[in-house]
Amino acid sequence: MFEAQLPRAQVLKQTMDAIKDLIKEAVWDVSSQGLSLQSMDSSHVSLVQVTLKTEGFELFRCDKNLALGVNMDTMQKLLKCANNDDNVKLTADDNGDLLTMAFESPNGEVTSEYEMKLMDLDIEQLGIPEQEYSCTIKMPSKEFQGICRDLQNIGENVRLTVVKGGVDFSAQGDIGHAKIHLTESATVDDEMDAITVDIQEPVNLNFALRYLNFFTKATPLSRQVTIQISPDVPMVVGYEIEGLGHVKYFLAPKIENEDDE
Amino acid sequence: MGIKGLMKLIGDEAPSCVKEGEMKNYFGRKIAVDASMCLYQFLIAVRQDGAQLTNEAGEITSHLSGMFYRTVRMIENGLKPVYVFDGKPPEMKSHELKKRAEGREKAKDELEEAKETGTAQEIDKQERRLVKVTKDHVRDAKKVLELLGVPYVEALSNLIEHSSILSKDSLCFKTPVLLRRLTMPESRKLPVQELHYEKIMSVLGLTHAQFVDLCILMGCDYVPNIKGIGPKKAFELIKKHDNIETILQNIDLEKYKVVDDWQYKDARRLFVEPEVYKNIDPPKWKSPDIEGMIEFMCVKNGFNEERIRSGLKRLEKSKGKINQGRMDDFFKISKVVSTSKPTPKKDAKRKAGKQKGNTAKKLKR
Repeated sequence: MFEAQLPRAQVLKQTMDAIKDLIKEAVWDVSSQGLSLQSMDSSHVSLVQVTLKTEGFELFRCDKNLALGVNMDTMQKLLKCANNDDNVKLTADDNGDLLTMAFESPNGEVTSEYEMKLMDLDIEQLGIPEQEYSCTIKMPSKEFQGICRDLQNIGENVRLTVVKGGVDFSAQGDIGHAKIHLTESATVDDEMDAITVDIQEPVNLNFALRYLNFFTKATPLSRQVTIQISPDVPMVVGYEIEGLGHVKYFLAPKIENEDDE
Repeated sequence: MGIKGLMKLIGDEAPSCVKEGEMKNYFGRKIAVDASMCLYQFLIAVRQDGAQLTNEAGEITSHLSGMFYRTVRMIENGLKPVYVFDGKPPEMKSHELKKRAEGREKAKDELEEAKETGTAQEIDKQERRLVKVTKDHVRDAKKVLELLGVPYVEALSNLIEHSSILSKDSLCFKTPVLLRRLTMPESRKLPVQELHYEKIMSVLGLTHAQFVDLCILMGCDYVPNIKGIGPKKAFELIKKHDNIETILQNIDLEKYKVVDDWQYKDARRLFVEPEVYKNIDPPKWKSPDIEGMIEFMCVKNGFNEERIRSGLKRLEKSKGKINQGRMDDFFKISKVVSTSKPTPKKDAKRKAGKQKGNTAKKLKR
């Protein structure tokens, strides 16, 4: 038997919004640690990894590790039926093929229950090694969302150039060129609003904006986004869900100077 | 080319090994393409009002059109094609080539007959059977590839290690991943099929040696097969007797006629130790030579300049796709999470589950 309860449905709704455009179906791994999910998008360019820790739930019970195959669109649609401040409870039987989502309004007057059929899926999961990154950038998530949105009007790719004290986001396209420069915040009132650039060595990499604009769907989950990059490895775009876990995206960089003249 | 009935056998005995997908899923992958097979297909299929395309001088240009547009489409989808031309065929293959030549002679006779008595349809059919890839066709095709900046090699080589091959008998050469129907016309909307050598072997429960013998029994290009033994029978026999030698000792040679001097051992050697060119340079993809292409395709061979230019433009645009890295090149697959329960009718159940997956019940609100 698996049971998990959250006081507010909003965070689950936002989590589903953050991943359903990138992946069609995925497997939720349920263990005593909590809920987690990892999946590549169909083109194998990016990967999303979600962790919702046991401690973040109001109630969490997991008698046996489960793998729940879910159609993302369906789960998002059903969760949408909950109001943001509804209490939500997920349940699944150990050998069942249903995931039940029960919602209860804050005053307890309205309760609703949705049963979702689970799917049989085989999902390839990648082993992601722990690693140190050359650059770690923290900035307000809305700022990052705006940059990705604006640059998409110019070109397909964004070039990230990280140097001490700042970051350049630039894009090149048929209509012209754009460059957005962020300087590390001098004084900080609220850490979540600050721009910080932690740098071991300068990095200059190119990424497809299309995917970054999928990632920024997670913006409502967190005021701050953490971007980690190193030469020639996938970048990491992470959103902390306060007290509950995180949504992390990985994006393979553009490969340059190979096979080209 | 290919092993007769192999796909059907795999489809029957190991359906789980055939993965279907779209061409664009293979972006960034190096794909070896059987050039001779493509040329045959183009010469047969690329036609206008039933006749092959020709330039002003009356020379056939069907293969040029096919080569150009098909390659553009692959690159557009982010694939990195390498064309593989048959070098000189191994001597063993002469058996198949002889058969083809005979077939062509026959078709020629029948064409003459059809011209006198038959319908237009009949004439068309016989004409298509007469198609032969000549040295000139190969030379022109290579020219198109050079102008497109797409590499090609002569004969199978160490490329196999890195890429996928489009011809079916390449499974016998342990091609790790084989793609089928990759180059089907877009209009036919058939999914690309992906076959993994290792997986097929493990599901069929065969060793490489057994698989090679199976292919020889089923009929390859190198030697004729045994009359009366089809794919299914061949599979049963290999499962039971392990190799051709033991099979020959155990089957009724009166019932199943084996040709005199059946050189299955030589065929086996060709599969196990193919004539491989070592130490060739890794293939390189370059930018297309636009003006050179216009000169060759439009001025010399009468293709519409606007259409060729727009094809080349699509090529230019797709550059970004080729450079996109793949997640699975950076991180290795650690495990496959499967939610399916071990039931005997696994495949049937999966289908049902998918269809029902979108319905959900609203109980009360």
